[in-house]
Order: sequence, then C-alpha cells, then structure tokens
Amino acid sequence: MQFRTTAALTSLCAIAALALTSCTSPGAASDTAATAQTGGTLVYATGDAEPTCLDPHVGGNYPQALISTQYLEPLVGRDASGEITPWLADTWQVAEDGLSWEFTLKEGITFTDGTPFDAAAVQANIAHLQDPETQSSTGFTALTKVESVDAVNDLRVRFNLISPDAALLESLSQPWTAMQSPTGIERGMEANCQTPVGTGPFIVESWEPQQSVILVRNDDYATPGPEADHDGPAYLDRIEWRFIPDAATRQAALAAGEVNVIDNPLPIDIAAAEKEGSGIGHLDAPRPGSVNRIELNSGQTPFDDVRVREAFIKSADPGPGITALFHGAATQSFSPLGSSEPAAISDESIFVTDVDAAAKLLDDAGWKPGANGVRAKDGKKLTVRFPVSTNQSVAAEQSLFEQIQANTAQVGFDVQLEPIDLATWHKRLSSKEYEAVSAPYTKVGPDVLRILYHSSGVTPAPSGYFGNHAMLLNDDVDALIEQATKTTDDAERTQLYAEAQQLILESYVILPLYDQQNHFLTNGVTGVAKLGTVGTPTFVNTQLTA
Amino acid sequence: MDGRLRGVVGTIAARVGSALLVVWATATIVFFALRVSGDPLEAVMGGPGSQAGPEAQAAAAATYGFDQPLIVQYLRQLWQVLTLQFGDSYTRKQPVVDLIAANFPSTALLATLALLLAWVLAVAGVLIAQTSRGRAGQLVRSTLHGLETIASVTPQFFLGAILILVLASGLGWFPVTGSGASALVLPVITLAVPVAGYLAHVMHGSLAEADAAPFALSARARGASEARVVLTHTLRHAALPALALSGWAYGSLLSGAVVVEALFARPGLGRLLLEAATGRDVPVVIGSVSIIALSYVVIMLVSDAIEIAVDPRLRPAPRRVQEVAL
Repeated sequence: MQFRTTAALTSLCAIAALALTSCTSPGAASDTAATAQTGGTLVYATGDAEPTCLDPHVGGNYPQALISTQYLEPLVGRDASGEITPWLADTWQVAEDGLSWEFTLKEGITFTDGTPFDAAAVQANIAHLQDPETQSSTGFTALTKVESVDAVNDLRVRFNLISPDAALLESLSQPWTAMQSPTGIERGMEANCQTPVGTGPFIVESWEPQQSVILVRNDDYATPGPEADHDGPAYLDRIEWRFIPDAATRQAALAAGEVNVIDNPLPIDIAAAEKEGSGIGHLDAPRPGSVNRIELNSGQTPFDDVRVREAFIKSADPGPGITALFHGAATQSFSPLGSSEPAAISDESIFVTDVDAAAKLLDDAGWKPGANGVRAKDGKKLTVRFPVSTNQSVAAEQSLFEQIQANTAQVGFDVQLEPIDLATWHKRLSSKEYEAVSAPYTKVGPDVLRILYHSSGVTPAPSGYFGNHAMLLNDDVDALIEQATKTTDDAERTQLYAEAQQLILESYVILPLYDQQNHFLTNGVTGVAKLGTVGTPTFVNTQLTA
Repeated sequence: MDGRLRGVVGTIAARVGSALLVVWATATIVFFALRVSGDPLEAVMGGPGSQAGPEAQAAAAATYGFDQPLIVQYLRQLWQVLTLQFGDSYTRKQPVVDLIAANFPSTALLATLALLLAWVLAVAGVLIAQTSRGRAGQLVRSTLHGLETIASVTPQFFLGAILILVLASGLGWFPVTGSGASALVLPVITLAVPVAGYLAHVMHGSLAEADAAPFALSARARGASEARVVLTHTLRHAALPALALSGWAYGSLLSGAVVVEALFARPGLGRLLLEAATGRDVPVVIGSVSIIALSYVVIMLVSDAIEIAVDPRLRPAPRRVQEVAL
C-alpha cells in the first residue's frame, strides 16, 4: 500500500522550480573530476510522509519501506529481472502439495544488538506480524495463508500454509515482512518504533520527529543483498534522513548541495536532471504491482455496459498528455501490471484512440447526443463521477485527468473530477459513489491481480477497504488467478497470469496510464542502487564524491 | 483591592474566561468534525485503506477506548483538555504533551522573531517615508507605499519560494533548510514581510492624522526637526493601532507557521498540526489548537499591557487625582 502525503503548495512552487533549473548547478558540474571517497554523511531528503513508526511491521506503508530498507533485511530478495534471490535465507524448497515451505538460513548472521539470526528469530518475526497488538496491515495481509512456522533446527524453518501460496516468496521479499531482532521486538511497540533493530548495512541511532532520523554504519554487516557490489560494511559513515515535504524546497536543497538524494521530484526537475551536464543524477525506480490506471466501475450505470466502457477508453487519448505533462519521465502503459513485473503483458491494440468508433458505440448503447454535448439515455445524463485523491495524485496526474475529461467530452461524456482528501476518497469508494477512479497499489509480483480483479475483491475487508474498484466479476479471470496462486511451476504461473491480464484488458474496465512513478535525484554521490522489490533505494554501495 | 488592580484582574479573568470558551469550542468542534469525516481507528491502524484484520482492529479499539459510547469518549477528551493532558497521539503513539513540548519552542521562536522583524521593518519604512521631503522624497514615499501593499498581499508560500530561489539556491547566502541560526533567517523574513506591510500601512494612516494635530504643529513651530517630531511625538500615536493589531498579527503568524514550516522543512507546531489534521489524529489536533489558542490569549494580554504603557490615556487615573476630582 502507499499513502503519500505531499504538501499542497505545488503549483507556484513548480514555477519556482522552473526558474530554478536555469539558475543552479554550477557547483555540481565538477562531479566528473571529483573522486569517490570512503566515509562521510549522506543526506537524504524525503517528500513522502514521515513514518509514525520506524518498524514497518506496524501499519506498513511506503515511507516505512523507504527508510527500513537501510536497516532491515528480508528473508529473500528480488533482482531487477524479477527473479527471487537468496538474502537472509540461502535456499528454500516447497513441498509437493504446496502446503509447506522450508528455508535454510544464512549462517553466522547477528542482529546489530548481538541477537543471533536463527530459526527462532524467524518464528518471532512472523508471530509479531500476525499478532493483532502489532497493528500490522500490509505485512499481516501478505501472510494470511501462513498458519504456523516451525523451527526444524537452528538454521532451518518450515512455513505451514492453510492453502498453497505461489506468491509467498514475493510476499517475504517485501520490506514490510523484513526480519527484526526478537530482543528488539520484546522491548515493546514504543521502543521498537523508535529504534528497530535489524541486520542491515545501517543502524537506527536516533529519531527527531519532523527533523531527521540518524542512521550509522553497521561495521559488522555481513549479508550483502542482491544489489551490493562488495562484501562487508557500507562505505558511508552515516545517513541523515530528513523530512522536507515541499518538492521545490527539496530540489533547491539538492541543487545547493545541502542534501545528496531526494525522492518524489517534480517531473520538470527530472527532465532537467536528464539533460547533459546538469550534474544531477536520476534513478528511475518504478514500483512493482499495478500500473497507475483509471478503473471504470462496471458494477453500475453507465459502465455496466461494455460498449460504454470501450467508448470511454477509445476517446480518452491519454498518450499526448502523459508525454507533455511528465516531460518524458513517464511512458504510456498498456498493461495492468508495472513494467518491472516480468509477468506483465501489454496489448496496445485495445487502447487505440478512435473517436468515431467511440461515438458509434455510444449510439448503439442508446446514449443519444443531448444538451451541451452531453449524451443522455432515458432522461439520464452520461455522467462519470471521478473522485481524485489529492494525496495520491500529483499535480501532473491531476492535469492529465483534466485532459481526459476534455477528450471524452468530445464524444458526449460528462466527467466530473472531484479533488478530495484521502479519507473522503476512501469513503466515496466504499459507498460506490464513483464511475471512474485512479488508485495506486504496490505489491511485489503478479499476485496483485488477485487483490485488484478477483471477484472476491468487491467485498470490503473488515476495515472497509476493497481492491476491486472496477467491480469486475468474471469467472474466467477468477479461475485463472486462483489456479496461478496454487501452481508452483513458474512458466505455467506466468502463462495463467498472462491469460488473466488479456481478459482484464479486453473487458475494458481499466485504462492503463504509466508505471507507478518512483524517481530519485542525486547530487555528489555514486552507487545509489534500487531494490527489485518495491523500488526503494539502498546505499550499501554509495560513496560521496564531493 | 484598589480600582486599578481590580481592573487588571477583571481584564485577565475575562481573557482567561474567553480562552477557556475558545478551547472548549475548539475541542468540541475538532472532536466531532474529525469523527464525522471518518473513523479514528483508521488513524491508529496506519491511515485510510489499511487492511488490518478484525482482531487487530478490536485490540486497537479497546486500547484507545473507541469501543465506548461517543459521549464517554467526548467527555474523556474534554477532561484531558481541562487537565492539559490531551492523551496519546493515535499515529505517533506518544503523549501529545511531549509532542507539543518538542514543537512549540521552535514555532514560538519563529513567530516572535517574525513579529519583531515586522515591527522593525514597519517603523523603518514609516520613518524613511515621513522624513523624505521634496521631489526625490515623493518618489521614495510612493515606492514605500507600493512596497507596503505588495508586502501585505504576498502569499507566504510564494514569498518563501522566491527567497529560497534567490537567496538560498541562487546566491547561496543562507541554507535552504536546516536547524541552525542562519536557517532561521529566510523563514523569519517570509513570515514577517506580509505582517510588516500591514503594520506599516496602518501606521501610515494614523501618522498622517497625528501629523496634522496641533501638538505636531507646535513642535515644528518650536523648531524641532522632522525626524524629532516623528520619533518623539507622532510615532507614539501612530504606533497605537499597530500595537493593538500585534496580538492579532501574532495569531496569524502562528497559523502562517503551517506553510512556512512545511516550506523550509522546520519542525514546529504548524507542521505537527498539519500532519495530525490530515492523519485524523484527534488528540494531537485538539492539543495543538488548544495551545495555540492559549498562547494567543497570553499575547493579547501582553499587547494590552504594552498599549497601556505607551498610551497614558488608557491608564486608570491614580487615586489621589480621583480624590481631588471628587
């Protein structure tokens, strides 16, 4: 899950940022001559919300994933090609029936408080994630099929499942299920939220809310993850993790050399960084799981008619808007899954813009041109209520929605964009007061399709949240997804997911837009890498070049 | 108790009474508004859309008392406000008092420095305008008047962004963000400029009035210089309405801190409040709003006292004089 809180000062600050690109960067130009050094403090400035707890087992959102990547490590990793790799676990095997998994743990690893990493530690972590007192949401959801964890011996654990779960490894590769010291967990939630203890390349030293979290190097670091270019500890002495909510301020601080890495940059700043000689580095790290897309509510009028859905998609024409508004930083997608998912399939032919065909589809469906160009049927206007979460949709995306509103108006849609806060947005969704909606969803692996398009996803969870916003009820899609969840054969699983995606695209319930944007800009550093799981940066290879 | 003391006590009592009323109303509105717009359990569970299981939700509801009737929850909240306890933050899981204690000094320092700077800028502007004579002086005066107007209508986030661009990013004179003394300069200027413009505008109006008053004419007739007339005679008069406005200005500076603290990434009450409001963290919102209301009242009292000190007419007459009058 991602909940992004961004300061809403963007429009004028965007102008400021525009001017900024022309008046900065002399200091950074000498980067090529500078040599990498060992030690020093890297300053990272995040625009995501400040975590309320540094232990990602509690709650479980993206800001926690970002920072905990620096001090916690998962059982398994995932490389850039999407393949699961060893991390704290060396090897694993699944039983014939898919109901149990055995993991052999890496030997000789200790948490930074001296507690050994062993089978008991894994048991303690899963128990912590499944304990209601922990108040976990993301990690809890990822482990719903895990019934118990047995210690076979010191370095061998067995996960017993309620039913086969082909997504288990992907779930265990996420930062929200990473391993923490049992001794640390025993201190209680308050202490563990302040200074969680892991096996990662850095250690949480202190946290001054709204100001910064100080991370120091773990000198005994011994489990380099999939992105590490060397054994042993990181090069940096410290990381100062700062919270700077305003994007233009973050960019100014980066340009001035006050910070070395920023996240959530404005598209225009990404474009400027991409220019030769800017001195600013750019790391594109799209999030896994779903793409950013518009979902059409097929559960009620007018989108319960597939012809109306197809007409909307044929007239939306988001391509030019994506190119212009994101300054080339985002590419149009034609898939339900992000480009970092190896199982993703694309079908561009479904999303070809054809205004005449769209008009004819609406004619056939009985929606006749009416007053002010808005079509109507039986006295009802062709209205599309589109609540937009201002916490989750950045300015560029909201502008794109406005363009789609104008494009679809040409064939007679009356799209009503409504910018609202996240809480109201969720309320509107759970009461089904929408015909179109855009909701990001981050989960490693194609299993995200189950959450978003399986018909069980139309029933809200106890918290009121439901994933199937498109209200897709398709038995064939359900069957394919269920089969994929149970199969342990990778090729077969990929094939099943491909068929499911094709059906989803052909049902015209979604308009894919682009990968979930996740960009990092750097100044005066080398060796910033991204993890193949949820696109978080790792600084295990990072060196300052100033 | 003599009349003067009774007057002061009465004023303070009235102020404290209205403060309590404000705090009660605020706590009530915040409590119910945040309840109506959504479930506080969400905030506890990590925000909207959290997919916590029913057991986790039940455990959290019991911990925070959400399983009790609303009226019980409301009364408990009021009691916490009355005892300045405010309870624990839903999202940060820390006592609200600790959060406020950690954030208030930074905001108070920012707002106080900004008010001082606003006064310095306003008085300087008025003095320069008043003492500039002749054709060149006319130009200076109209420029200053123009600046006043621009300053008082400039949105703070825009001014802040420009200052960051020019003074921090462009010229590199100040850091963009940070916690040292030099990092205070730009936020203080950002907050102070609109208030300075407003104060100067008000002073100008009353200065023109005082300038035409007989005492100014007689001072000039005695050969006093223009600067002397302003400094010793007319400015006192001109400052009165501006002083009266300073309490209000301080309140607006505290709320302006929301924008400035976000822009310059400073910790403070404004940012705490902003985060808490978006996160539906009821105890933190009620706590910080109460503290802002209370400090506003204190500032109003101080500005009243300063006004009395500057304007003899506002002082209650000494008893001896009253007796003579009888």
